[in-house]
Amino acid sequence: MRLLGGFIGQWSSVAKEALDRTMIVAKFLCLLHVTNNYLCSSTLVYGPSMLPTLNLTGDVVLAEHVSTRLGMVGLGDVVLVRSPENPRKTVTKRIVGMEGDTVTFLVDPMNSDRCRTMVVPKGHVWIQGDNIYASKDSRHFGPVPYGLIQGKVCYRVWPLDGFGSLG
Amino acid sequence: MRNLPPFLMIVKEGLDKTLTVAKFLCALHVTNTYLCTSVMAQGPSMLPTFNLTGDLLLAERISARFGRVGPGDIVIIRSPENPRKIVAKRVKGVEGDSVTYVVEPKSSDRCETVVVPKGHVWIEGDNIYDSNDSRKFGAVPYGLIQGKVFWRIWPREGFGSVR
Repeated sequence: MRLLGGFIGQWSSVAKEALDRTMIVAKFLCLLHVTNNYLCSSTLVYGPSMLPTLNLTGDVVLAEHVSTRLGMVGLGDVVLVRSPENPRKTVTKRIVGMEGDTVTFLVDPMNSDRCRTMVVPKGHVWIQGDNIYASKDSRHFGPVPYGLIQGKVCYRVWPLDGFGSLG
Repeated sequence: MRNLPPFLMIVKEGLDKTLTVAKFLCALHVTNTYLCTSVMAQGPSMLPTFNLTGDLLLAERISARFGRVGPGDIVIIRSPENPRKIVAKRVKGVEGDSVTYVVEPKSSDRCETVVVPKGHVWIEGDNIYDSNDSRKFGAVPYGLIQGKVFWRIWPREGFGSVR
C-alpha cells in the first residue's frame, strides 16, 4: 500500500509540472491569438496581382487590424480582404475607391482599351490589384462590402531587401 | 507578507479581484466570438418569427465558420450597406441556387429569378413587405455571416428553439 501511495505521489508531481508548463504555453498562444486578431498579424502573400509592390513568389507582410475596426481605412491602402467568391480565402489588394466615389477602370487591359465608370455603393469599397493585367479584383466581382476587410497591410518583413513600410 | 503596510494589502487584494473579473470577461469574450453569442433583434423585417419590439436571441458561431449554413437558416449578418450594423435575416439560397423572389410585393406581383453567384448567399426577411434584404442590395458574400440563430431567450412566451 505504501509503495502504491509513493508511486502515485511521484506521478502526480510530474503531472502537476506538465500541467503548469502546458498552462504557460496555452497562455502564450492565447496572447498570440489575441494580438493576431485585434492588433497586428503576419501573413504570407503571393501571386502576380500586386506586382511590382509585392513579389510573385511571396512576401511576409505585417497587417494591422486596428484601422479596419475604427473605420479608418481609406483610398490607396493595401488591405487584406476576405474574398467574396471564396470565404475561406484572403486576398491582398489596394483600395482604389471608397463609398460614393466614381471609379473608372479598364475592363480587360490585355485585350482592349475599353473603360467603364461606376459609382461605389454605400458601405462598399472598390479594390484593384496593382498589376491590372493579372489581377482578379473588383473589376470582376464588383465592389466589396467594407465588412469583408480584415486588415491593413503596413510593413513588409520578408524578403529582407524589401524590408520597410509599404506606401 | 505580514510586514506589508495595510494599504498595500488592500491594493493587492483589489488587484487580485480585478484580475479575476478580467479573466471572466476574457472568457466571456472568447465564448461570444467563437462559440455562442446573444443578440437583440428588433424591427419589422422578420415578422411573425421575431417580434417588432425586440427579441433576445442566441446565435452560434460554429456553423458559419465551417460553412454549414444552408437555405432556411436564420443568420445574423453584417449589413453590406453599413458595416457597423448586424441584421438578422433568413437564408433563402446559397451559391449556385436559383432564387425566385417578388421584387416589390406592396405594389405588384412581379417576380424575378436570379442565380446566386459563387461565395454568396441570398437573404430575405420573413416579412417581405417590410424588409431591406437581398432583393434590394443583391446577394451577400458568405464572409459577412456572423452566426446562425438557434434559440430565443426573451420574451418568455417565445422561449425555445427557432426554426
